[in-house]
Amino acid sequence: MLWLLSLNSTIHGQEIDLEPVTDTYAIRNANIVQSPGRVISMGAVLIEEGVIKSVGKSINIPANAKIIEADSMYIYAGFIDGLSHIGLPKPKEKAIDRSQIKDPANPPNDLSGIQPERLASAMLGPKDKSVSDMRKIGFTTAQAVPHGLMLPGQGTLILLSGETPDQMVYRKETSMYAQLEGAPRRLYPNTVIGVMAKYRELYRQAVQSKDYLKKYNANPAGMVRPEQNFIEEAFYPVIEKKTPVTFRAESVLDIQRALTLKSDLGFDLMLGEVKQGWDVIDKIKASNAKVFLSLDLPEIKEEKQDSEKDEVSASKTESDLEKERLEKRKKEIIDLHYQQASTFKDKGLKFGFSTLEVKPKDIKKNLSKLLEYGMTESDLIAALTTHPAELLGLSTVMGTIDPGKMANLVVTDKPYFDEKSNIRYVIVDGNVQSYEVKKPKKKGTGKDAMPKGKWSYSADTPNGTVTGEIIITGEPDDYSGTISNSQTGQTTDLTEVSVGGGSLSLSFPFDIGGNNIQIQITAEIDGNTFEGNMSVGQLGSFEVEGQREPKN
Amino acid sequence: MKKNILTALLLLISVGLQAQEKGTLLIKNGTVLTITNGIKENSDVLIKDGKIQKIGTGLKAPSGADVIDAKGMYVMPGIIDAHSHIALSAINEATSPVTAEVSTGDAVNPLDIAIYRALAGGVTLSHAMHGSANAIGGQCETIKHRYGTVDPEELKMKGAPRTIKFALGENPTRVHGSGNGILPRTRMGVEEVFRNSFSEANEYMAGWNEYNAKKNQKSFKGVAPKYDLRLETLADILKGNIIIHCHSYRADEIYMLMQVCKDYGIKRLVFQHVNEGFKVAPELAEFGAMASVFSDWWAYKFEVYYSTAYNATILTENNVVTSINSDSRELIRHLYHEAAKTQKYGSLPNDKALSLITINPAKQLGIDDRVGSLEEGKEGDVAIFKNHPLSIYAVPMYTIVDGIVEFDRENDPADMRIYPNPEEQIDVTIAVSDSEYDRCMQDTEFLFNH
Amino acid sequence: MIKNILCAGAVFMAFAGYAQSSKGKSGTFALTNATIETVTNGAIQNGTVVISEGKITAAGTAVTVPSGAEIIDCTGHVIYPGMIEGGSRLGLTEVNSDARTRDFSEIGEVIPQIQALTAVNPNSVLIPVTRVSGVTTSLALPSGGMFPGTAALINLHGYTPDQMYAGFKGIVLNYPQSGRRGRFDRRTDEEINEAAEKALKNLNETWGKLAEYHKLDSTITASGSNEKLDYYPEMEALLPVYRGEMTLLIEVNASNDIRSAIDWVKDKNLKVIFTGVSEGWRVAKELAEANIPVVTGPVLSVPTREYDRYDRPYANPGLMQKAGVKVAIRNNGAENVRNLPYDAGFAATYGMGREEALKAVTINSAEIFGLEKELGSIEVGKIANLFIADGDVFETKTQVKHVFIAGWQIPMESRHTKLYDEFLERSPGVKK
Repeated sequence: MLWLLSLNSTIHGQEIDLEPVTDTYAIRNANIVQSPGRVISMGAVLIEEGVIKSVGKSINIPANAKIIEADSMYIYAGFIDGLSHIGLPKPKEKAIDRSQIKDPANPPNDLSGIQPERLASAMLGPKDKSVSDMRKIGFTTAQAVPHGLMLPGQGTLILLSGETPDQMVYRKETSMYAQLEGAPRRLYPNTVIGVMAKYRELYRQAVQSKDYLKKYNANPAGMVRPEQNFIEEAFYPVIEKKTPVTFRAESVLDIQRALTLKSDLGFDLMLGEVKQGWDVIDKIKASNAKVFLSLDLPEIKEEKQDSEKDEVSASKTESDLEKERLEKRKKEIIDLHYQQASTFKDKGLKFGFSTLEVKPKDIKKNLSKLLEYGMTESDLIAALTTHPAELLGLSTVMGTIDPGKMANLVVTDKPYFDEKSNIRYVIVDGNVQSYEVKKPKKKGTGKDAMPKGKWSYSADTPNGTVTGEIIITGEPDDYSGTISNSQTGQTTDLTEVSVGGGSLSLSFPFDIGGNNIQIQITAEIDGNTFEGNMSVGQLGSFEVEGQREPKN
Repeated sequence: MKKNILTALLLLISVGLQAQEKGTLLIKNGTVLTITNGIKENSDVLIKDGKIQKIGTGLKAPSGADVIDAKGMYVMPGIIDAHSHIALSAINEATSPVTAEVSTGDAVNPLDIAIYRALAGGVTLSHAMHGSANAIGGQCETIKHRYGTVDPEELKMKGAPRTIKFALGENPTRVHGSGNGILPRTRMGVEEVFRNSFSEANEYMAGWNEYNAKKNQKSFKGVAPKYDLRLETLADILKGNIIIHCHSYRADEIYMLMQVCKDYGIKRLVFQHVNEGFKVAPELAEFGAMASVFSDWWAYKFEVYYSTAYNATILTENNVVTSINSDSRELIRHLYHEAAKTQKYGSLPNDKALSLITINPAKQLGIDDRVGSLEEGKEGDVAIFKNHPLSIYAVPMYTIVDGIVEFDRENDPADMRIYPNPEEQIDVTIAVSDSEYDRCMQDTEFLFNH
Repeated sequence: MIKNILCAGAVFMAFAGYAQSSKGKSGTFALTNATIETVTNGAIQNGTVVISEGKITAAGTAVTVPSGAEIIDCTGHVIYPGMIEGGSRLGLTEVNSDARTRDFSEIGEVIPQIQALTAVNPNSVLIPVTRVSGVTTSLALPSGGMFPGTAALINLHGYTPDQMYAGFKGIVLNYPQSGRRGRFDRRTDEEINEAAEKALKNLNETWGKLAEYHKLDSTITASGSNEKLDYYPEMEALLPVYRGEMTLLIEVNASNDIRSAIDWVKDKNLKVIFTGVSEGWRVAKELAEANIPVVTGPVLSVPTREYDRYDRPYANPGLMQKAGVKVAIRNNGAENVRNLPYDAGFAATYGMGREEALKAVTINSAEIFGLEKELGSIEVGKIANLFIADGDVFETKTQVKHVFIAGWQIPMESRHTKLYDEFLERSPGVKK
């Protein structure tokens, strides 16, 4: 992404860092949702040194407290993410030099993905965009695990704030993270059966070496010195049940495979990113596994209202009927996915959520959709706060707004689940971040939207801001133009320019490492400014805004 | 108890999965082909709680039990496929010439539509095998086609003997020798893999025996051999606890494995495919090895260029316990027709031809005390046909597993998927029918360009 | 036990009489006291068929046996027309996993001029194995790119491809596929759609060039000039197809593709056959209305869609036939084309019925390939492709006793039978 990587300036988003003048805050006149079902209307919260000092309808606010007027806003306990990669950027894919591998049946551990000794806490990047993205939508705490294959490493509990990894880490080793993911082709273990066998062997070898180590330490004289094996050592806390194993278990089969390993080997189990759990709840309950459900839900395509639907059924052909049946079955399975959370709830299984797959921008949308499938707002707040706190052993310090707990709070201008509600503040460990409300995009009318002319634009990408000029020429229905990049000096012709109802759509080609992709900009024109999105294929979509250049 | 999966799904009841269901069912007035006790005309079969309680005439159904009127139809034991790869999420851990420690039991996939389609061909039980990429492959799983569950454990036939997949010839030599540059590259190397593995397993067992004998002694300071799941499994083979099922084609390599087994005291041996088995039929019979063969597949590889469709007949006539298998999610749907081909190639009589897909594969899987024939006390696995199963005009009508009707030609809906894909685009299809040979090599495609 | 088999075998060999010879035998033959399945005129009981100089010279009840004819007493047996395989790689491959023996798929997207007939191996071991089961004729089908070559119908007897050639050639078109190519196709939906559109564009561009070529060629011919068009073998090969003189065999399977293909051939005035047609049952009406004959198979395959009824492939030929489509059945294999009667047998069982299924491997194929006067039934004047069986050809236990191809009596032996003879009772057995 040379073109977009060229500028190394600081990211400017809508965040404004408040300089802490004091670390004592009082948020006043707010509706405080201490925990689901416990609400204080028009009350206040006092925070000191990152701890909640007091909560109530009228509390004593010291003189040195900075007052935040909440003005009928809502305060919730900060959301807790049960399983994520927050703060852990995805490593670049390294090409494997197979000529260096002497025995593919026994490859080096890093290639086969056996790295349980790695610590996520040592791999954190506080500046990673995922931290601010998740904090922006209300998450204050998360279990973060490394990327990898079958045993990527130990997860860590982090606070979504801090300049250095040390400041982020709340608890260094929370669980051993595991996935049913094999090594790349030709390296052992490559398939799920290889991976399952390897887990069993590693665990049992660790049990063996642990017992031997105990004997040796009790009386080493005359005994063969035990070999150091840091992979086996990583299992010892798991064997002692000090830490659980967290398995990424999305499909109904993977969930059951993880449960099988637990019953074979005996470790404590956490299941994360569960997508198809509704038929195996009894099995999960019987195993005492802790559960974090996936927030990544299948797309629901809205049905076009077919005016011909009321046709007499006699005129429907066989294939129409078949199509109906198939659409119906598809809807049913999609519904089952959405209903999963309430099914777990009905069976009395407490759960939190995990965000390994879901995009941050879809989280609130998906959560809200669950309200149509048997979950109440209280249920969802619980799954974001009190339940994950319990499951992760954090109930004494997180999950509710009570004196003595950590100051992790989310402040929204309307109730969180209101469609139009915005997050105004997120407080992590007593550090306050405020967020401005984005102006709503005004749709220009056809007459006002005059794309012709010179525009300067700036785009917000994860690697910095990119600026340049867009020149549009031509006539309505026959526009053309160019886009330039101030940093590289390159100018590219636009392959497509179209305008409709105040919306401007542009696309231009771009070469990334030999692959030719089309970059597309869609924006709303409002007089002399525009605002919209630039989408770069699979790399994602970034905000872009522009301004008409004044004619000289 | 008829199971209607679609109804259950439509009601959106996420019923907790019932523990292995057993049914009670009366089949009336059929021509009962018992396999081991001759043919019983106009007879009934009563299955109670999943077991065949009685075979006779004029039987009464317990109250509430379903009755199938099999008048004019043929009632035979559920067909058994001794070589299959359906219902598995993974088939070949092809990364090492020896992978005894892995097991297909860890990859059982009860959602595979191929299970239902096999039921639609009268097959109630299959041997879900590891592939043939490795000289010593993984352990296999014997599964019953209890379709409609999402729990892999429900499919496993509890108590069935352990089995493991070996492979000879072109597959392991191509995958490891040509593909990865490690032994074996030739049939000589394949033998070496076996001898080496078994000798190491013997050493491992000896080490543990020595340790166990001495560990409780007062001044013992020794250390146990390091736990090795692969060697543990190989040791179990040597102890006679696991039946070897060996993918094989050429007569010389079949002969070789028998010699190796003799040297290491291994007796439980079944050859699979064994296209040239007919060339060493006397030796097979003498050893007591059994054979599970194709009906007429040949010439797709060089090692089967010199084989014959008369293989099954020659082996049977030379007293080798022979079965006919599919090794294909297509072929498994008409194993009754494949068995009938032994009547074209060698004129085997009806009872022998039917044994090839019932009691014989049961013997090869070590489960002939439980299934493979219609006898009182055996499990209620039944296939009911319109027209004799060995006729081309045979139509499977009902297939019953543990007394539960799993396939009902007249009443089953067309769409029998358990979990449809929530992301599928309706009407985007596979353009070419899925008819591959030798699924034994799945998961190794990366090695070969077609 | 073995003794019984040997006895039966001895009787068989005596009946056959010439199992020792590996060569075909020509001459005049009278097959007497048979049930004759003519296919076009019903079954004749106690009939006689006379073969002379490669043709059927008599078939019926009141038939005089010519003097000097070799008589084969067919009491209790049935005479069938030789079965016709509608499209396979028989003769074009030997050991399918060995690329050196595969000669059916050449490099090039548009190479209609290359001839499958040239690459047929008359001495392939697979051929005797096939013909002893009563399949006498097969269409050697090239595959690969868009226009992979010219298919040719061959009789399964002869020592050169020309001796085997049975009189029909057709240009193959692999119609652009819109769906996934199978389990290993990992392209995204967009990529697949793009590829399909591109392929259709390529086809239409090629056809456009062909139209131009045709115009120029016609003009030259009409004007009587001596001008010649440049050497352009692809266009030369396609020209007869464009002009409706040569058959175009369009391989197409998914229902959307079939619809698209029906649309594509409309108004082009071509001689067209659709082959493959695995989802033909979904568009049977359209096919019938468009009057397009089909060669479908293999019947013994899995349903094309996961949600399809399990027996769709078995029922496919019958469903099309009932909708009014002319259906021929193919096995589409190579070493097991001998199983063609069982593809037809399953079609018969699952809705087509025995009579129509038998037509689908005899007279229908002959008609579709334009050879209804020479092949496909037992009628006087037709080429003597026929076989004698001891029962219903669809039943697996039926034994084929004699096979005639183009009037030649075929040795009833193959690699399979020879191995059976050698190893049924091996000598030496196990050395004690």
